[in-house]
Amino acid sequence: MAEDLVLDTAIRDWVLIPLSVVMVLIGILRYFVSKLMRSSPTPDAKMVKEGQVVIRARNLKVGANFIPPRSFRTRRFYFTNEENGLLHVPKGEAPTNPQAAMFSDPNMAMDMMKKNLSMIIPQTLTFAWVNFFFSGFVAAKIPFPLTQRFRSMLQNGIDLSTVDVSYVSSRSWYFLNLFGLRGLFSLILGDENAIDDTQRMMQMGGFGFDASKSLGAEKDGLDIIQHEWALPRFEQRAESVLRKLVK
Amino acid sequence: MVTKTEETELNQFEIQVENGGGGAWEYLCLVRKLKLRRSEKVLKHGSSILNDPRKRSALGPDEWTLNEQVAIAAMDCQCLDVAQKCIKVLQKKFPGSKRVGRLEALLLEAKGLWGEAEEAYSSLLEDNPLDQAIHKRRVAISKALGKPSIAIELLNKYLQLFMADHDAWKELAELYLSLQMYKQAAFCYEELILSQPIVPLYHLAYADVLYTIGGIENLISARKYYAATIDLTGGKNTRALLGICLCASAIAQLSKGRNKEDKDATAALELHSLAAAAVEKEYKQKVPAKLQLVSSVLRSLKI
Repeated sequence: MAEDLVLDTAIRDWVLIPLSVVMVLIGILRYFVSKLMRSSPTPDAKMVKEGQVVIRARNLKVGANFIPPRSFRTRRFYFTNEENGLLHVPKGEAPTNPQAAMFSDPNMAMDMMKKNLSMIIPQTLTFAWVNFFFSGFVAAKIPFPLTQRFRSMLQNGIDLSTVDVSYVSSRSWYFLNLFGLRGLFSLILGDENAIDDTQRMMQMGGFGFDASKSLGAEKDGLDIIQHEWALPRFEQRAESVLRKLVK
Repeated sequence: MVTKTEETELNQFEIQVENGGGGAWEYLCLVRKLKLRRSEKVLKHGSSILNDPRKRSALGPDEWTLNEQVAIAAMDCQCLDVAQKCIKVLQKKFPGSKRVGRLEALLLEAKGLWGEAEEAYSSLLEDNPLDQAIHKRRVAISKALGKPSIAIELLNKYLQLFMADHDAWKELAELYLSLQMYKQAAFCYEELILSQPIVPLYHLAYADVLYTIGGIENLISARKYYAATIDLTGGKNTRALLGICLCASAIAQLSKGRNKEDKDATAALELHSLAAAAVEKEYKQKVPAKLQLVSSVLRSLKI
C-alpha cells in the first residue's frame, strides 16, 4: 500500500510555484490597498482621556512607595472612589459598551467592515480559483507519515481511497501558504507589516480598545496596593553613601 | 531623555560641523530627533543648506521638514525675515495645512502680536481640539504676557485631558512656584516623582518645596527626600547635602523641648554630621578659598 508514486515535475512547475507566487502577490496587493483605504482614526476626547488616565494610574501603582502616605491615599481616592473616581465605571455602562460602541459609531463599523472585507474577499477568491483549476490530482507529498484521519482534509480532490495520506492535493498547499507566508512578508514589507492571515483572523475576534475593562483592571490594581513608604530606607542608604564618600 | 551615546554623537557632530567638515544634515536630523534647542547652529547650518540649490534638491522630500526646523530656529533667534521666507515656501507647497497654520501663528507670537496669535490658535483648536502643541502654545502666550494665573488655568484644563504628559506637570510646578503656591507645586512634583522615580532632580525639587512650606512633618519628609537625592546621585549633589544640614538644624529648633521623633533624631544626627563633612570635603577640593566661610556656616547650623 505504501508504494511510491512518482510525481511529475510539471506539477511543481505549474502548480506549486505559481500558487505560492500568486499568494505572495495577493498579500502585497492587500497591504497596499489597506494602506490606501485606511481612514486616519480621529481619536475622540473621551478615548484620549481614558488612555491617559490609565497611564497615570499605572504610574501611581509603580511609584506608590516614593510619595508620602497621605498623598498616595488622596490620589487613590481620586481614582477609585465610588462617585466620581476616574477609574470607576458605573455598572450599567460596562457590559453594553463594546456592542453599543460598535453599532452606534458609524466610523468604527465601517472600519470593521473594511478590515473584514479586505481579508475575506481575496481568501475566498483564491480558494475558489484553487479548487477550480487545481483539483483532482495529487500535488505534493508530505515528508512525514500521517494517520488516516487526515485523508478527508488533505485529499479531497483525489477520489482514490488507497493512496497514501502523505500525498496531498493542492488545496492543502494553499492552506500551507496561507499560514506560512508571514516570514516572507516580513522580509518584503518590513517587519511591522507582516500581518498575515492568521493574525488577521485573530484580530477579527477582538477589536478596539476596550476601555472599560482596562479601567476596571487598573482600579482593582490600585485597590490592592499596600502603601509602604520607601523613603526612610533612603535615609540609611544615604548615610552609608556619605560615609563611604567622606572616608 | 538623551542617552550617553547620543550625547557624545551630538557633540562630535557639532564640533565637526562647526569646523567646516560635512555632516550638517545628519547633525540637523539628530537635533530634530532629540528635540534639542540649538537654534543658532540650526539656523546657520540649515540656512546654508537651504540657500544652496544643489544641496536643497539633494534632500528631496525632507526639504520641507528642514524648512520647518529652520523657521522655528529663526524665530528663536529673532531673525523674523528668515522665518517668514521659510514659512512662505511651506505655504506655497502645502496650502491650508494644519502644521503650516501652526507655524504662522508661531510667527505672530514671535512678532509680539499676542492678540492675533491667540485668535489663530483658537481657530486651529476648533478644527483639532486634541492637538497638544497648540494647547501648550496658548499657555506659553499667557506666560509671556505675564499672566501666570491664566497660564495655570489653561494648563490645568490641558492636564485634565492629557494627564500623563510629564513636561506639562513640570511647567505647572514652575508656574506655581513663581506664584508661591507651594502646596500645589508639591502636588505637581509628586506627580513627577511618580512617573519617573529614579530622576534625582524631582526628589530634590520636592524636598526644596517641602522645606519651604515648613512645619516639622514637612521638614522630616524633606530630609528624607534630600537623602533620596543623595542616594540617587552618589553623594555628589551639594545642594542636597546642604539641604540636609539646614533641615536638621530647623528640626532641632522646632522640636526643642519635645521628645517625639527620637528615632528620627538620632538617625538625623549621623546623617547631618556626615553631610556636613561631605560638604566641607567638596569645598576643599573645588573651591578652597571659600572653605572657611562654609565651615563657619555649618558650625553655626549645628547649634
